[in-house]
Order: sequence, then structure tokens, then C-alpha cells
Amino acid sequence: MEPLLQVQDLSVHYKTRRGFVRALEEFKLDALQGETLGVVGETGCGKSTLGKAILGILPAGTQVEGKVLFRGRDLTHLGNQMYRRLRGEEIALIFQDPMTRLNPLMTIMDHFVEEIQDHESVSSAEARSRAREALVSMGIHESRIKNYPHEFSGGMRQRIMIALAIVLKPSLLIADEPTTSLDVIVESQILGILQDLKRAYHMSVLLITHNLGIVAEVCDRVAVLYAGKLVELGPVRNVFHKPLHPYTQGLLASIIHLETRELHSIEGSPPDLIAPPSGCRFHPRCPYAQSICVEKVPPLVEFEPGHFAACHFGDKFL
Amino acid sequence: MTGLEERSPPELGDEILRLDNVNVHFPVKMPFVQRLLQREEVVVHAVDGVSFSVRAGEILGLVGESGCGKTTVGRASVRLVNPTSGRIFFAGQDISKLGGRNLRVLRRKMQIIFQDPHASLNPAMTIGRAIGHPLWIHGAAFGLQNRGSEAFGKWVQQRVLSTMREVGLTPEGQLFDKFPGDLSGGQKQRAVIARALILGPSLLVVDEGVSMLDMSIRAKVLELMIDLKRHHGLTYLFITHDLAAAKFVCDRIAIMYLGRIVEIGPARDIYSDPKHPYTKALLQVIPIPDPDKRKEKVLPRGEVPDAVHPPSGCRFHPRCPAVLAACGWEGRDFVDFLDDHLSDPKQAGDESILGPIEGWRADGLVAMMKAEPENVEKAVERVKAILVGAPTAMTQAIASVSAQNRTVMLRFNPPNELRQTQVQDRVVECLLYQ
Repeated sequence: MEPLLQVQDLSVHYKTRRGFVRALEEFKLDALQGETLGVVGETGCGKSTLGKAILGILPAGTQVEGKVLFRGRDLTHLGNQMYRRLRGEEIALIFQDPMTRLNPLMTIMDHFVEEIQDHESVSSAEARSRAREALVSMGIHESRIKNYPHEFSGGMRQRIMIALAIVLKPSLLIADEPTTSLDVIVESQILGILQDLKRAYHMSVLLITHNLGIVAEVCDRVAVLYAGKLVELGPVRNVFHKPLHPYTQGLLASIIHLETRELHSIEGSPPDLIAPPSGCRFHPRCPYAQSICVEKVPPLVEFEPGHFAACHFGDKFL
Repeated sequence: MTGLEERSPPELGDEILRLDNVNVHFPVKMPFVQRLLQREEVVVHAVDGVSFSVRAGEILGLVGESGCGKTTVGRASVRLVNPTSGRIFFAGQDISKLGGRNLRVLRRKMQIIFQDPHASLNPAMTIGRAIGHPLWIHGAAFGLQNRGSEAFGKWVQQRVLSTMREVGLTPEGQLFDKFPGDLSGGQKQRAVIARALILGPSLLVVDEGVSMLDMSIRAKVLELMIDLKRHHGLTYLFITHDLAAAKFVCDRIAIMYLGRIVEIGPARDIYSDPKHPYTKALLQVIPIPDPDKRKEKVLPRGEVPDAVHPPSGCRFHPRCPAVLAACGWEGRDFVDFLDDHLSDPKQAGDESILGPIEGWRADGLVAMMKAEPENVEKAVERVKAILVGAPTAMTQAIASVSAQNRTVMLRFNPPNELRQTQVQDRVVECLLYQ
């Protein structure tokens, strides 16, 4: 089966006064139909840039190379008109902060009607009834559809945003830190909703997060990013039980959870992406680094079926 | 005269901070006319009757969701907000009414660290200057009157450098003249910690001190805090929503919900055997980073309610998975239930008898609706019928459903009085243990 989304050798370089920030470099990733793919990494690893690149909402002046294929069609050269149709209808985005998506001066109803009528030529009555349906499906009472965003709690706003994102039944949902601003119990509730939706609509979900615990709980596969590069990709079981890249190993060891016995951290800090390190970008912090790591960029290698890593010594960890 | 060594740490076990039935209520802003018409004062019950004490050299974790009042407790402890009532003792001294100069002197002994290190540092001030700033402000307290003198500048610089070394902000010579923008998140948080330490405080309030940091450096900063505690006998109030991080740091934990402490006790006991249903819920939602350990969770319903009108009885009762009939059911719980019931498309027929929801009014233990005389009896029967679908505890708490004149009236039994109960080494506020 052809992947729903194929990111091929994508490089995204932001223009700044100090020079180009290499936020993503020769990045590859496939998302399959109906899977939840976790994209994890720390601040500045390029995970949000990936989401923006797929949706074509990078700031003007950004250099983009490579391809983003959605159902085989390259999005990087798509015209504005076509892109607008695609967004919402085929690919939808959930932000971290619902208030960046919801207009404080519009009622919830207006948001839905605008979204639906922008993409489909349906009557207002039809749009309104679909809006009610979408809202109720997220467990919010129909009578509140005329309310404004500020009249809802944080968890409800997030559910409204999810309802808005799926009202046109997109096949790919990009969720960029969808629960980071929420309380822990509400976070758990929202993750449950995302799981149910995926099953109900056979949607693919690209879950961008810094929280590996969440990935372990809801994702089928996981992609680990470091300093703009994909360092590891594979089924969650394989990656969590047998991480092949030293960065993934360090990241997994540093999670603080209830069964943690000892605290771990990774030495050093992430590199400046204006002048990233040569060879493997992780080499200055890697406990196993050899001279080859400084000289040569490690290719992404499939060490076991479906489990890829970009490390010269990946086979040592098998 | 450098570093923090000169300070003799207080004896371990001395009570350093005590809150005694502290209330912090924030007034709700509203138009003047509305305020006149209001029967009672409208306030947010941010903190409602909180008491605890912290012994020197101890780390007490204040854990809860946003809006539970943990930050307000932390700020009240160092008098950044004023308590509405109740008393706060610092090293035996009542500081709840202290002001002006006396308070300023005290602030040397109590410092606070905020969540966002970036927002805590002035972007136009070098790191060295920022860390040394408290010394310039409080310089006189160190017996150095002449703050303009070269000697004083030298002394400050020495102290800043040694404190930087101590918090791992190295190479300190290089970083001294850097600006916050040049530092990574972890380094910035270390700078903030150094600035809080430089006056040699005995109490540190850490408000979500590691929440904004990346996972791979979080552990380092936590370790630093534990180290500093060991070496200097520091006492912490560690405020966080993250029970997993708190487990590593805290000696004792207080779980807060909607302005109340619902459970407080030794960290070990709270993690191995949580008592309060809310504590259990919080522990359950911590993700386990092992795909083989996925499990279905029984989550509390809904979200934290409004703190202007907190639920009666136990404040957690509307969401509690283990709720009893005597936990505090009241009129608005029925109205909420009815609201949910009517929003179910399958129950559309009930709207004509029991709706609209706006027709219902809740007042304390009573929920009522005005109805046409011919409909009243029908509505009463219908209410009784739909209660079959309500939570059992709520149904059990209902004293009567009756028709009075033209009103459908539903009355709850008054709840049992909720008391803080000693359970082994801890105190729990829950009817299950009373």
C-alpha cells in the first residue's frame, strides 16, 4: 500500500539575520493510512517545522528543498488555491493553544459554518446541523454552540478545535503538542478522544510531541528527531524496547516516570542550527562517538524490518 | 567571605514554615451596579482553609492541576500575595501581617523560582549582574554600607562567581558577561537558581521550576536542587503538576484540589498507597513509557469546576469515581445531570416535559422548575424515571422529588460533615476514611 504522506529529502532553512537556520535537513518520513505516527524531539529539533512544511505555512523567505508527497502529489509546488482546498479537507492541524485557532470574536457556530462553507457548497442550514453534530460528538452540549470561545474551559476549547479539525473528515490530522497546555487528567481524556477518532474515521494522525510517555501510550510508530535530522524510526515497541540511536537511548533514559529509579540526562545541549556539527549532529553529546561520527553523516539504515536508525554503530545495539 | 558556606543551616526538624488555616480569596471584577445588586461578595476561592508545616531541610511537594491554588499557596508563603485570613509563620514568627521594611528583611531568607526562566531574567542585564543584583539591593544587611566602593563591587563579583560554580553555570568567567539570550534553557534556569541562592535563603519556593525544560536536561536541574538541599540544609516548597518529578525530590507531598489540601503525608506512602480518589486519579494518568503497559484508564469526569462557587461538601464529589451519597450532592449536580441527559438525542422527548434546562434553578440542596399545573405531576414522575440513569450515589442522596404548587422540587439530603482524618502517617480529607 502506498503511504498517505511521503516526505522525501526535505530541507527547510529559515532565513535569519545571523544566517540560515537549518531546521530540517534531508529529512525522510512516510505516514501510512490509519496509523498514529509520533514525531518526538526536544525544543528546536524541527518537529513543528515538519508540521508547518506539510501544511505549507512556513514563513515567507524560507528555503525549502525536497518533496512532500500527499497521495502521490507533491505539495511543495502546489498553488495557493489548491493548498487552501487541501487544508481542512485533506489535512487538518490541531495546535497546542486552542486560542490561536479560535477567533475570540466569533461564536463556535460561526467557526464551523465558515470552515464548512469555505470548502463545500452547502446551505447554511446544512452547515449548522453538521456543526451541531460535530460538537455533540465531542461531548459538548448543542445549546452552547452560540457561545464564544472564552466561555469554555481549556479542555472544552481543545475539544472544539478537534471537532473543527475533523468536521470535513480529513485523512491526515497533524496534532502539534495537542495536550501540552492542558491539565494531566484532561490530557488523558483528549488522548482518548484522538484514539477513538482515529479508529472511527480510519484517519492518520501525526502526533508531534516532546512527551515520550504519550507516544508509548497512543502511537503505532515513532520518529525521533534531533537537530533537524531523523535519527530513528520504527514501531513503538521496537524503538522503546531496543532503541538503536544513542540519542533515543538517552531520551528514553531521561524520562521521569513513577518507576524511574535513577535520574539520567544527556550531557551538553542541542547544537546551534546555523552551524550544526559535522558528520552526525549528535556526536558532540554522544557517549560512543568515534572519529567516523565527526567525519561522515550516518545514513538512515533499516537495522531490522521497519526499524531505521541513522547511526554508524546501530548494529552494535541490536 | 564567598559562597554560601558562612550560613549555619537551621537545625533539621525545626519548623520553618507553617500555614494555619490560610484563606486567599480574590475579588471578581464586575461592574459597579452589578456589585450593588449582588447579595454576597463574589470571590474566587483560590485557597480555602489550608494548613501545613514544613520542617527545615525538608522538601514539601504541592501537587495539583491548574487552578488548584498551589501557586497561590506558594506566593502567600513568601507573602507575594496577602492572605485573606489565617496565619503564616516563618521560623516561628507570624509574618501574615508583616509589611514594609520588616518584610523586606525577611525576603532575604525566602526566595521564589518561577516556571519560565526566560521571563525571570531581564534580557538587557548580563547574567553576572542579574545574579549579583540581590546583593546590591540587600548589601547593607551584610555589613557593607558603602555600595559605591570598589571593594563592594569586588566582593559581589567573587560571590557571584562562586555561586555560579556551585549551580554548575560554568565556565563562570565566560558566562558572567553573557546576556540571557545567549544561554540555553537549562543554563537560564541555573542562573535563576543562583540568583535565588546568593542571599543565602533558608526557604526556596520552586514554582514549576523544571516544567518548561526539555526532558534531557530536566533531570540535571532536579539533581542540582537535591544537591543544594543536602549541602546547605535548604528547605523547599516544590510546586508542580508532575507527580513523577515530585516523587524524586519530595520528602512529603500535599495534593491540592480546588483550594483545599485533600491528602498530605510522606511521599513514599502517597505513591505506594494513595488514599484520596483524586490522588489515585493523578497517579493513574502519568504516562508509562512502555508500549506493553498500555491500559484503559478510569478517568474522573469533566474538568476542575469554577472556584467562585466550589461544589459543596467534598469539592471533588461531582467528578469522583468513588463518590458516596453523603459527599455533598446538591441542586446544581442534578441540573448538570439533567443537562447531559437532555443533550442525548435519544432522550429528545424529555425536552418538552423537563426542558428547557434554563427553566431549572438550583439553590443549595434544592433544584426546582416552574411548570404548568397540568404538567407538574408528569414532570415529577419523569424526574424519578430518569434518575435510574444517574450515578447511584446521587440517586441515593435525593431526599424527595415532589410537586409543590406549580413547582417541581427536588431536594437532596444534607451531606456529612467532611473532616480531615489521620490515616496512618497522613491526613486525608475524604468520607471514605472518616
